[in-house]
Amino acid sequence: MLGLIKKDLLMIKSSMRVFAICLVAYVILGIIEGENYIISYLPAFVVFMMMTTFSYDEYNKSDAYISTLPCGKKNVVKAKYLTTIILFIAFTLLSICYATILSFTNSDLQLQDILVTILGVIFGVSIFQCVFYPMIYKFGIEKSRIAIIILVFGFVGIIALLSKLNININLSLGVTNFLDNYWFIIFPLIEMLVIYISYRISAHIYMKKEF
Amino acid sequence: MNNAIEIKNLTKRYDDLFSLGTINMTIPSGQIVGLIGENGAGKTTLIKSLLGIINRDSGTIKIFNKDIDKYETLIKEDIGVVLDGMFFPEVLTGKDINAILKSSYKNWDEDLFFQYLKDFQIDANKKVNKLSKGMRKKLEIATSLAHHPKLLILDEPTSGLDPIVRKEVLDIFLKFLSDEEHTILISTHITSDLEHIADKIVFIDKGKIILDESRDDIMDNYGILRCDAEYFDNIDKKDIVSYIKNRYDYTVLVNDMKKIKKKYKECVLDKITIEDLMVLMIKGVK
Repeated sequence: MLGLIKKDLLMIKSSMRVFAICLVAYVILGIIEGENYIISYLPAFVVFMMMTTFSYDEYNKSDAYISTLPCGKKNVVKAKYLTTIILFIAFTLLSICYATILSFTNSDLQLQDILVTILGVIFGVSIFQCVFYPMIYKFGIEKSRIAIIILVFGFVGIIALLSKLNININLSLGVTNFLDNYWFIIFPLIEMLVIYISYRISAHIYMKKEF
Repeated sequence: MNNAIEIKNLTKRYDDLFSLGTINMTIPSGQIVGLIGENGAGKTTLIKSLLGIINRDSGTIKIFNKDIDKYETLIKEDIGVVLDGMFFPEVLTGKDINAILKSSYKNWDEDLFFQYLKDFQIDANKKVNKLSKGMRKKLEIATSLAHHPKLLILDEPTSGLDPIVRKEVLDIFLKFLSDEEHTILISTHITSDLEHIADKIVFIDKGKIILDESRDDIMDNYGILRCDAEYFDNIDKKDIVSYIKNRYDYTVLVNDMKKIKKKYKECVLDKITIEDLMVLMIKGVK
C-alpha cells in the first residue's frame, strides 16, 4: 500500500510545475487583495491533485496492472484515501503558514478568524471528496469530472459569497452554543465517520470492478 | 511434476456475445506455455481471470498449489506480469517505478532492476511516455523480473517490437527459464516465437480450449496435405481435421503424420507451423 501512496505522490510531483504556478499566482493574489476568503480555495488544490492521479490511472489503464501487485484491491482504495488525507494535512499546514503571513501583512485580518475559515473549508471540501470518490470508482473520472468541478466551485463560491456579503446562517441558540463549545470534537468525528463510510462504499465498488 | 497453475471449471460470461469456458488447464512448473487464438478468442480474459483483474463467474484457480482466493497476496509476490497496453502512468520514470515497487514487493531487487535498465539502455530518469514502444516494453519486462518471480504471465509481450528487440526479449525469457522452477505463460499473436521457445501450446477459440498439447507432439503429428479436388474427394474423411478449399487446390490439416505419409504417398505433405495450425483450425472446414 505504501507503494501506491508513493505512486500517487510521484504523479502529483510530475505535474508539480502546473500546480506550483497556480499556487504562486494564488498566493500573490491573496496578498494583493488582502482577502482571507481566498484561502478558502487553497484546499481545492487537493481535489485537482487527486483528480489528476485518477485521470492518469484511468488513461493508462493502470488499475489493471495495479491489480496484479501483491497488495489486495481494498488496499488500492485505502491508498487513495490515505494519499488524500496526507495532502489535506499538508495543505492545512500550508494554509496556516499563509494565514500567519497574511495576518502580519494586513492588520485588519485576525489570525483566529482565518484559521476558523481554513478549518471550515477543509472540512467542507474533504466531505465533498468523500462524496466524489465512490462516484469516481463507479463511473470513472472522465464521467465524474464535470459533476465534481461544478460541485467544488459551487460550494467554495457559496462560501466566498456568504463571507463577502457577511451573511451568517442562523442556527438556534442551543445548537450554536453546542457547536461553539464542542466543535473540535464534533467536526473531526463527523469527518472520520464520513471518510469511513465513503471508503467502505468505494472499496465495495472497487472489489466488484473489472478492468 | 508440480503444477505452477491449475485451473478447474473456470467460466466468465460478459454478455450473450462472449463467454469464456468451461476452462480446465494445468501448466507444469518449469515449462513455457503459449496461449494462442485470434483476437477476441478469450486469451486476455483468461489471463485477467488468473490475475484477479476481472472476477470469474465460477471455477477454482490454484497457483503454486495454493488457492488464489485464499492466498492472493502471497501468490502475487511470486508472479511477474506484462500486460498488453496496461502499465503504470506514463508520467512516471524508471526511478519512480523502482520507488513504488520497492515498497510493493518483499523481494524487490533494486540492483537487478537498474541492471536490467542498463542492459536495455533505458534512461531511468526518462518518463515512460518519452520512451519508444520497444523501450517501454523492455521496461515492463524489467519490472516483471526484478522481484525474482517464479511465474511470468505475459500478454502480448513482443507485439509491436522489431525482430531484433523481439529476439532480445525472447532470450531474456529463455534465461529466466534456465531455473527449472520458473514457469512462463505467454499469450501472443506472433506464433513463430512459440515455435522456438514453447513447451506446450494451448489454443483458445470462442472462449474454449480447442487444443492443449506439447509443441513437439504438435510438430510431429500435425501436418498439411496439399492436393487437387479429385484427390481430395478420395481422402478418408476421418483423416481430415479441417481443410481450406483454395482456387486450384485443397489445404488439408491432418493428424498422425506417420499414418498419413504411408496412406497418401502421392500427395505433398508439409510440416506444420503454429500459424498454419491456427488458421486451419479456425478458418478451415471441419
